[in-house]
Amino acid sequence: MIELKNVTKRYGTLVAVDDVSFSVKQGEYFALLGPNGAGKTTIVKMLLDFTQPTSGSLSVNGVSSTNVASRAAVGYLAENYHIPPYLSGWQYLQRCAELLNIKRSDAQEQCHRIVESIGMQGREHTKANTYSKGMIQRFGLGAALVGNPKLLILDEPTSGLDPIGSREIRQLLESLKSQGMTIFLNSHLLSEVEKICDNAAIINRGKLLVKDKISALVKESDSLEDVFVRYVKG
Amino acid sequence: MSKMSQKFSTITNIAKYTIADEVRQKSFLVMFVVSVIFVFLIRGCYQGNYMINGQELNAEAVVATVSKITFHIITVTLMLVTALLSMRVFKRDRDEGMQSCIFSKPITRMQYVMGKILGLWVLSSFFMFVLHAIIFLTVLLRLNIVMPGYLAASVLCSLNLLFVVIAVLLLSLMMPDIAAFLCVMGIGIISFAADWIFATTHIPLLHMQSGWTGWETIYYLWPKLSGLQHFASLFIVGFNGYPRFAYIYPLINVIFYCLILGMILFWRFRNEDII
Repeated sequence: MIELKNVTKRYGTLVAVDDVSFSVKQGEYFALLGPNGAGKTTIVKMLLDFTQPTSGSLSVNGVSSTNVASRAAVGYLAENYHIPPYLSGWQYLQRCAELLNIKRSDAQEQCHRIVESIGMQGREHTKANTYSKGMIQRFGLGAALVGNPKLLILDEPTSGLDPIGSREIRQLLESLKSQGMTIFLNSHLLSEVEKICDNAAIINRGKLLVKDKISALVKESDSLEDVFVRYVKG
Repeated sequence: MSKMSQKFSTITNIAKYTIADEVRQKSFLVMFVVSVIFVFLIRGCYQGNYMINGQELNAEAVVATVSKITFHIITVTLMLVTALLSMRVFKRDRDEGMQSCIFSKPITRMQYVMGKILGLWVLSSFFMFVLHAIIFLTVLLRLNIVMPGYLAASVLCSLNLLFVVIAVLLLSLMMPDIAAFLCVMGIGIISFAADWIFATTHIPLLHMQSGWTGWETIYYLWPKLSGLQHFASLFIVGFNGYPRFAYIYPLINVIFYCLILGMILFWRFRNEDII
């Protein structure tokens, strides 16, 4: 589903991603872990062709990430999500559906289902400038789900959510597992990752330190947090 | 839906959102209302009786002159308004998360840029057409004079607005928005000033120098925004023996600049990092 081969990204003299290679299989819940500035978001941006790698190649759904077709069945939730303040959550979801050329009747039905699944019934028609950060994040996840994507790329999906909101999003992500969806999760909330994901990779200063099953990683230590600290601190 | 119609539908959707987002801005509404009020105030010029020392003037000639002046004022004002509307478009989309939302979908950067250009061009051209149509209707209703060339001139001048949209969008990728706005306004001012200087220095009685100078080369290669506007205004007052082909050059010049700057804009935006 996702494949990175010897990917390097440099910004001038700064090496943001350094010769990283890994793959994520279909149906896998994969977490990319790392401290702030490790290069996680840069990898996500390269997967979505927001920025090009200096060297190496990335593919999504077997298609090079530079090809627009690679994003045909991809949903994306950015960190610190924004919605134009003058749009309501409903209008925003409708826009996302229209951009995917989904028929109006199908779009209506899909948006109703999504609003329900993200728990925003009753608030979908109020303007986004009245939403809390958590509510915007939920609509962001909703927007990522428009078009029934096969792959979800989530950059800090529970950022800004309260514990109840985080749990609801986690439950929603778990429910998507049964639908065979692949999830690429970028996070440093290790407890969350431990609960949802099957596999994880740890990256620091642009270098891939380890990639394995979470069960295999945690086996050696008490928790994923211990594993993370051990790898990052060397 | 075929691939081609899907691509076109995406462009029109982005254009539609661009128009909707611009129209929502309070500054746009203020500019539109002020412009409409200004044009309505001009209607006093079309009284029908133009007398000097008890002698009645040729109403049609006076109307044509007044209409030509208002035509120029509206067109220049709309170039300014278009530059203002275009200068923050990319930044606003980036800040409001629309760029990352759009580009995470199977939408190419070319489709996005084309949608933005189309939206801004349609909006500003419509804005200008409405103001010109008010003058056209005022003359028609008050004086019962039909000026068919007036609306044609408006449509032709929309090419100037296309130039402004593309130039401001391109420059806003390279410099702060306000600097992009000022640069494009500078190009416009130089175009008008150069045409004025050229016209005064090429009056046969004052014309002293001969031969092709470097300044003349720059003059001819500079975006002929003023020339196109002048050409368009001839549809209102008539060509009066001017050879039409002589005025085709500004049209070709502006279309050429739109194509070249458009290509640079697509190329530049393709290499932009999406934040």
